[in-house]
Amino acid sequence: DALLPAPQNISILSTNMKHFLTWSPVIIQGETMRYSVEFQGEYEREYANESWIPISECSLITGTVCNITEDISATVAYNLRVRADAGARRSEWGTLKGLFNRITTSLTPPVLKVIADGYHLLVDLEDMGPAFQFLVLYWKKGQERRVQQKVVKEVRSVVHLDTMEAGADYCVRAQTYVEAINRSSSFSQTQCVRAQGDKSMWLV
Amino acid sequence: SVAEIRAGFAAIKANIQARDPIRTHSILSHPRSLHKVKSSDRCCITHHLFDFYVDKVFKHCKTEDSYVNRKISSIANSFLSVRRKLGQCHEQNQCMCGQESTEKFKQILANYEGLNVTSAAMKSLGELDILLDWMEKSR
Repeated sequence: DALLPAPQNISILSTNMKHFLTWSPVIIQGETMRYSVEFQGEYEREYANESWIPISECSLITGTVCNITEDISATVAYNLRVRADAGARRSEWGTLKGLFNRITTSLTPPVLKVIADGYHLLVDLEDMGPAFQFLVLYWKKGQERRVQQKVVKEVRSVVHLDTMEAGADYCVRAQTYVEAINRSSSFSQTQCVRAQGDKSMWLV
Repeated sequence: SVAEIRAGFAAIKANIQARDPIRTHSILSHPRSLHKVKSSDRCCITHHLFDFYVDKVFKHCKTEDSYVNRKISSIANSFLSVRRKLGQCHEQNQCMCGQESTEKFKQILANYEGLNVTSAAMKSLGELDILLDWMEKSR
C-alpha cells in the first residue's frame, strides 16, 4: 500500500481571536479522505517531551478546516499538524510552516450602531466575546477638541454615552482592545446622530 | 491571562477534584493559608508557585480524557505566558524573596513530596482555585 501524501498548504486564518487551521485536500480517485489535527503549545515543547494533543472535534473529519480557537488559548507559540487517512492507509503528518501565536490575529474595527434616543446618546456594540473590550470616543459636532471616551469592558446591552443638547449633532467612533495580547484594532468609521428638539430652543 | 486560566480550570475543576481521594491533606494551605503571606513576599511566592506548577505539576496530570488534557494544556501554556510577565517583575527587582516566603514555599514542596507524584500533582491542580483566589485578592 503506497503511503498517502501528507496534507499541503497548511495555514491559519486568524481574525478577532478566532483561529482556523486550513489545508489543501488530498485527492485520490475513489477514496474518501479523512483528516486529523493535533496541536503542541510551548509547554508541550519545553516541558512535556514535545508531546502533541489531538483535537477531538477535528479527528477523522472530511472537511479541510478546523476551528482551533478553543485550544489556542494562551499567548505562546503553537505548532499544528494534520494527517490524512483513507481506509487503512495513512499519510505522514503535514506540519504548519512556522509557529502560530495568537498575538498576530488580525483585529477588525468593531461594528457599532449609534442611537439618538430623545436626548440620550447610545451606542450598540457587537458582542465579540469575552476577550474584547471597547474604547468608545464621542463628541459634539464642532467641538472636536472636546472628545470624551468610555471604556466598555463587557458588552451586555446598549451603552449610554451622554445626554445631548436639543437639536445638536453628536459623533461616535470606537476601537476594540484585547488585553490577552495587549493590542487594539483600528477605529471604526465615525457615525453621527442628531438629538431631538430644536436647536433654537437654546438661543432664547 | 489569569482570567483564561480561571476559565480553563472552571471547565475541569469537578473532574480533577474528583480524582483526589485524599481530602485531609492540602498542598497549598497546610499548615497555614496563603492568605497569611505578607504583602512584601507575595510576588516571590507567586513566582515560585508558577515555577512549581510548570516544572512539577502539569506534566504528571495526564488523564484518559482528551477534553481534560486539552484544558490542562491550555492552563499550562497560559501559566507560561503569565510567568513571563512575572519574570519581568523579577528582573526589575520588584519581587524580593524574604524569609517567610522561602519557608512557605519549602512547606509547599514538603507537602507535595509527602504524596506519590500523581496524587500530589492532581491535588495541586485541584487546588488551583486557591492560588487564583489568593492572587486575585492580593492584586
